[in-house]
Amino acid sequence: MTDFKKTPAHSKRAGQTIMLDRRQLLLGAAGAAIGTATLGVASGLGIRPARAADRTEISFASASFFGKEGLGALVKAFNESQSRITVKFIELPPPSSSTEVYQGLVQQLARRNGTPDVFSQDVIWIAGFASAGWALPLDEYFPQDKRADYFPGTMAACTYGGKLTALPWFVDSGMFYYRKDLVEKHGGKMPETWADMATMAAEAQKTGDAKFGYLWQGKQAEVLVCDAVEIIASNGGSILSADGKSSVIGDDAAVAAIQFLYDTINKTRISPQNVLSWDEEPSRQPFTSGEAMFMRNWSYVYPIAQDPKASHVVDKVAVAPLPHFAGGKSSACLGGYQLGVNANSKKREAAIEFLTWMSSPETQTRLALNFGLAPSRPAIFQDAKLKAEQPFMASLQNVFTGATPRPITPQYAKVTLALQSSISNALVSGNVKAELQAAATQINKIVG
Amino acid sequence: MAVTMTAAVSEQTPAKSRALPSALWPWLLLLPAFLSLASVSFYPIVNGIYLSFTNRSLITQDNDFIGIANYVQLLSDPSFWNAWWHTIWFTLISTLLETMIGLAMALILCETFAGRGMIRAAMLVPWAMPTVVTSKMFGWLFDGQHGIINFILVHAGLIDLNVNWYGSPDTALTTIILADVWKTTPFMALLLLTGLQTVPKSLIEAARMDGARAWTIFWKIRLPLLMPTLLIAGLFRALDAFRVFDLVYVLTGGGPADSTETLSTLSYKVLFSTLQFGYGSAVSTAMFITEGLIAIGFCVFLIRQIRRTT
Repeated sequence: MTDFKKTPAHSKRAGQTIMLDRRQLLLGAAGAAIGTATLGVASGLGIRPARAADRTEISFASASFFGKEGLGALVKAFNESQSRITVKFIELPPPSSSTEVYQGLVQQLARRNGTPDVFSQDVIWIAGFASAGWALPLDEYFPQDKRADYFPGTMAACTYGGKLTALPWFVDSGMFYYRKDLVEKHGGKMPETWADMATMAAEAQKTGDAKFGYLWQGKQAEVLVCDAVEIIASNGGSILSADGKSSVIGDDAAVAAIQFLYDTINKTRISPQNVLSWDEEPSRQPFTSGEAMFMRNWSYVYPIAQDPKASHVVDKVAVAPLPHFAGGKSSACLGGYQLGVNANSKKREAAIEFLTWMSSPETQTRLALNFGLAPSRPAIFQDAKLKAEQPFMASLQNVFTGATPRPITPQYAKVTLALQSSISNALVSGNVKAELQAAATQINKIVG
Repeated sequence: MAVTMTAAVSEQTPAKSRALPSALWPWLLLLPAFLSLASVSFYPIVNGIYLSFTNRSLITQDNDFIGIANYVQLLSDPSFWNAWWHTIWFTLISTLLETMIGLAMALILCETFAGRGMIRAAMLVPWAMPTVVTSKMFGWLFDGQHGIINFILVHAGLIDLNVNWYGSPDTALTTIILADVWKTTPFMALLLLTGLQTVPKSLIEAARMDGARAWTIFWKIRLPLLMPTLLIAGLFRALDAFRVFDLVYVLTGGGPADSTETLSTLSYKVLFSTLQFGYGSAVSTAMFITEGLIAIGFCVFLIRQIRRTT
C-alpha cells in the first residue's frame, strides 16, 4: 500500500527533475543564443575596442554604384589617402531601386542625429532635403569662383532658395542617338530641329530603311517627365515659373512641345503607339536591333549598342544633343547624383573634406574610368586618359552643357505624379491643351 | 477524529488558495499570444487609422492632428475615385471569371481518368509562380511589337494590326485581368475541388437511379451543396484581388493615362514616393473600409445560404 502510494510521488518528482533539467537546458541555450546574437550585433555595428582614436569617424550613405570597383573601394581609397578621417560607408540599395534609396535616406536624415554625415542624392531630391533643413548650405565652402568648374545645369539643380545645398558628383542626361549610316543615306546632315528630324525619320520609314523613325519613352513613369522637360525646354518653355511658385505647363510653348510628341504617334507616325508603354529598356531594344533611326535615351545605351553580342548596329551609332524647336535651344533632362552634407553633422569639417575629395577632379576621373559615371566638371572631358579609354563619354561634353534640371521644388514627388498622369492623359487622348492646363491648376495647388 | 478534521482542513486550504490563480491561468497563458497579435496586427491598424487623421509627412516634418480633412480631400480627389472604380472592376471581373473557370476545372478534375494526379499537380504551377514572374511573362506575351498574342491573332485574321495591349487605355486593364485569371484560377479550382469531394456520392447515385441527367444533378445537387464553399472561396479571392499590386506595378505602373491605377498602387505612390503618411493612410483606410464592406456582403450571402440548406 505504502509502496503503491510512494511510487507515483517518486516518479512525479523524477519527472520534475527532468523538467527542471530541460528548463535549465533551454534557459542555458537561450542565454547562449542571446550572447552570440549580442556579440554578432556588436561586431556588426562596429563596436570594437577603441582604435585609431585620433581619427575622426564620419559616415557616408549612398546608393551602391558598381563598375570595375564598388563605392566601398573608393571610400577605402580615401581612408588610406590621409590619416585624419575614417569614413564608414553605409550602403543603400542600387540606384535602380530609387524609391527605396530615397526612403532609406529620408528615414536617416529625419532623425536629425547627424548620421550619415555625408550622403549622395538624386538630383530631384535636393530641394526637398534643403527645405526640410537636412542639407547643410555649402556657400561658405564653395564660393562662386569654384562653382564655375561645374556644368551650369548641375549647379542650378544644386541650388535651392538661393543657397548651394549640394555639390555635383556625376551627371547623366537625355541624349539623341542616331544611326550614322541612315543619316548619311538621307541627306547626310544631322537634323537640328524637331521638324527636320520628323521629316527625315518619315523618309527613312517610307524607303523601308527603318521600321521606326524616332523612339522615346511615354510610359506613365518618371522617364516621361524627363522626356517632357527637355522637349518643353527646347521650345523655350518650362514646367514651373522662374520663382517656382506657379506652373506654366499650360502655356503655348509647353503645349506645342507635347503636341509634337503626340503627333509623332498619330500624325507624322514616326513613333509606334507602343512608346506609350515603354520606358528606357523597351525603347532601347528595337534601336540596338537595327529597327530605328533616332532615339532619345540615357548614356547607358551606348556600351550596349557597341557590344556585338547584344547589338546589330555596332559602329553605326552616334550621339548628339537633342533637336530643338525653331527659335529654341537644345536641352537635355539632367540626371545623375549629387553630394550633400547632413546639417546635423557634428563633424562638419571632416565631412566637407570628404565631400570635396569625392567631387574633386581626381575622384571624378576615377568614377568615369572605373564606374562609367560621367564627370560633372567639363574640364575632365579633355583628359587624355579619359579620351583614350572612354572616347564616347569624352564626346558628351556638349550634350551635358544643355542639361536642364527638372522642376526644383521641395514638393517634387507630388509634382511628378501630377505631371506623369496628365502628360500620359494628353498623349493618349490628344486633348493636349486641356490636359496640360488641368495639370497647371493641380501643380499650382501643390507648389502655391 | 482530530486527525481527520485537520486532514479535512488542510485539504480545503490549498484548494481555496488555488482557486484564484486557476481562474487567471488561462488568461496568463493567452497573454503572450494576445501581446504578439496586438503588437503586429492591432497596433499597426489603429496607428494607421490614427495617421489618417493627421497631416504627417516625412519630408515636410508636419505631424498635426487635422481631423477628417484628409477624408474630405479624398472624397473630392478624382485620382482616388479613378483608382477605386478600377479596383472594384478588377475585383468583380477577375473573381467572376476565376470562379466560373475554376468550377469547370474542378468538375473535370473530380472525375476519374488516367493521369488525374499528375494533372492536379500540374494545374497548380501557374499559382505557385511568383507574381512578378507572371507579370514579366505576360508583358512579353502581350508585347505590342513582338508579342505572340498579336502574332497569333494577326495570322488567324482576327485583327488587322498589332494591338498595343497594355499601352492603350482601352485594353490595359483587360490584359491585367487576363494575367490574374491565368494565375489564380488554379487556386479557385483547388478550393472548389475539395468542396466537390464533400458532396456525398450516395446522393448523386440516387439521383442517377431516378433518371436525372448530369445537368440536373449539377444544378439541383452539386451546386447547392457546393454553395458555402463557393462563397468562401469567392470571398477569399475577392479580398485578395482587391489588393492587386504587383501585376499593375510591373506591367504598367498605373498608366497609360491612369487607366490601370488601383488603390494599392495609388496608396503606394502617395505613401512611399511622396512620403505623405497622413493622406496615404487615409487612402489605405478607405481601402480597408471598402474591403470590409465586400466581406460583409459575402458573409450576409453566406449566412443566408447556410440557413437555407440546413
